[in-house]
Amino acid sequence: MDQEINFNQVTHTYQVNTPFAQDALDNVSVTIAPGSFTAIIGHTGSGKSTLVQHINALLKPTTGEIAVYGRTINPNTTNKNLKQLRKHVGMVFQFPEKQLFEETVIKDIMFGPKNYGVSEQDARRDAEDAMKLVGLDENLSEKSPFDLSGGQMRRVAIAGVLAMKPQILILDEPTAGLDPRGHKEIMDLAQELHDQQHMTIILVTHQMDDVVDYASDVIVMDQGKIVKHGNPQEIFSNPQWVYSMHLDLPSSAEFATRLVDEGVPLRHTPLTIEKLADEIAQLVQGGQEHE
Amino acid sequence: MKDIIQIKNISFNYPDQPLLFDKLSMDVHEGEWTAIIGQNGSGKSTLARLIDGLIVLKSGQIVVDGLTVNDENIFEIRNKIGMVFQNPEDQFVGATVEDDVAFGLENRQVPREEMHRIVEKSLRQVGMWEFRDRIPANLSGGQKQRVAIAGIVALSPKIIILDEATSMLDPRGRQEILSLVNEIKKQNKLTVISITHDIDEAAGADWVIVVNNGAIVEEDKPDNIFGDIEKLESIGLSAPFTSQLMTALKARGIDSHSQYLNDERLITWIKKLISTK
Repeated sequence: MDQEINFNQVTHTYQVNTPFAQDALDNVSVTIAPGSFTAIIGHTGSGKSTLVQHINALLKPTTGEIAVYGRTINPNTTNKNLKQLRKHVGMVFQFPEKQLFEETVIKDIMFGPKNYGVSEQDARRDAEDAMKLVGLDENLSEKSPFDLSGGQMRRVAIAGVLAMKPQILILDEPTAGLDPRGHKEIMDLAQELHDQQHMTIILVTHQMDDVVDYASDVIVMDQGKIVKHGNPQEIFSNPQWVYSMHLDLPSSAEFATRLVDEGVPLRHTPLTIEKLADEIAQLVQGGQEHE
Repeated sequence: MKDIIQIKNISFNYPDQPLLFDKLSMDVHEGEWTAIIGQNGSGKSTLARLIDGLIVLKSGQIVVDGLTVNDENIFEIRNKIGMVFQNPEDQFVGATVEDDVAFGLENRQVPREEMHRIVEKSLRQVGMWEFRDRIPANLSGGQKQRVAIAGIVALSPKIIILDEATSMLDPRGRQEILSLVNEIKKQNKLTVISITHDIDEAAGADWVIVVNNGAIVEEDKPDNIFGDIEKLESIGLSAPFTSQLMTALKARGIDSHSQYLNDERLITWIKKLISTK
């Protein structure tokens, strides 16, 4: 089980030893299973980004430790010898296209592997593979990344991370600012990487519909603590609790609670449109059969 | 109804690129909320920049509140238009929230006493008066957008253009900003143009213009636009939640025989179905 990600009593304090000291993570213990598609949700400032940045040791814990791929990260971990870990854990930040800088798409994607000492030839091959994975046409290779559309630029940035062949991919709000088609393309890509490349996907998101549509596990954070960890059904079954966390419900569940408030006796909190339609159909047609 | 913005046969292209708009025409009615929707790269934001004179037409004419957009009128036109962009951080100049809202008034040499009064009124209107001494950079995304809106309201424009102003906010923040702008629109009798790919935002508009590849595909009331899910999807957009639910119900033999219902009307219809079963 050395492939799991394990947080053991991790606390992270920003600006430690100053009057501004603030616990961004407060005694967090959690295990993220290998091969899972885990969504991390919580309102702004709840500690989501701080949590995921510990997984590739961008941040080190103030106390406690994290085990990732047999590697332990603790308060004494230095930035030496982290290459292997960071190769395993790919991190796609918000608006990753802001990090593009090379003259051509292929050079930008090759930058990562070359940085890890892969030969020019192998880096090119890895970059070409990554372009295929994200669905970028090969005739874009020699174009400037800055001439591409927003959705394409984002895919170049993600390909740059995938070219390092990580086993864990962390996506921090990967669809922010994209139109519905771009949004779906990126989320479907995440699913494909999970299903076909068997990657562990960790998704930080505000989009509850994506949580329902794509995630198998959900971690809910509030004030630096993990307050719930379960599957989407378990997380969203209690609308009042979800609201108390300053979170939204998935659209279908939200609409269902409005129907219930209006006196429509739905029995479950449906998380998808199909389930909501089933529930409504049952009420409407079930009644007709009795007549 | 008066057309506060008239766009007549405009053509435009960016340097070394093909024509984005080729003889495009459209009007915006005064006092309405007009949503311009389309996917990334469809030309929506370019349109907003042309209206505000930030970039220059190749041919054709844009008239804003009776004035043609040109070098001579540009400052008067910009006084009539307030633009809210996607990322308010790109526009912050003041050290505090209060200073930031005052900036535009200082630029217009508004007397000090009056400036104080306007800044307070504007910040109160967006619910950010308590935050007047804070540093804008330290606010949440929704709060920043409120401050940006206060800065615009302070200059009492006739038109507010939201250029994907809510796309970086979470759903709740998005809803709050939209209700706020709607409230201000009513109180200050404004015209709102919202450039967006958030379909649920567009569903609340008075008039919807669908843009694709620099051309108007369709313009109509939301009810008539959102009935056709396939068409929306074919140009990279999605259908509003209620349209998707109506389609799912229809597949189960429950047909409203309506093209489109918004949230409230759909709930009313479902209640009626169940009570008369």
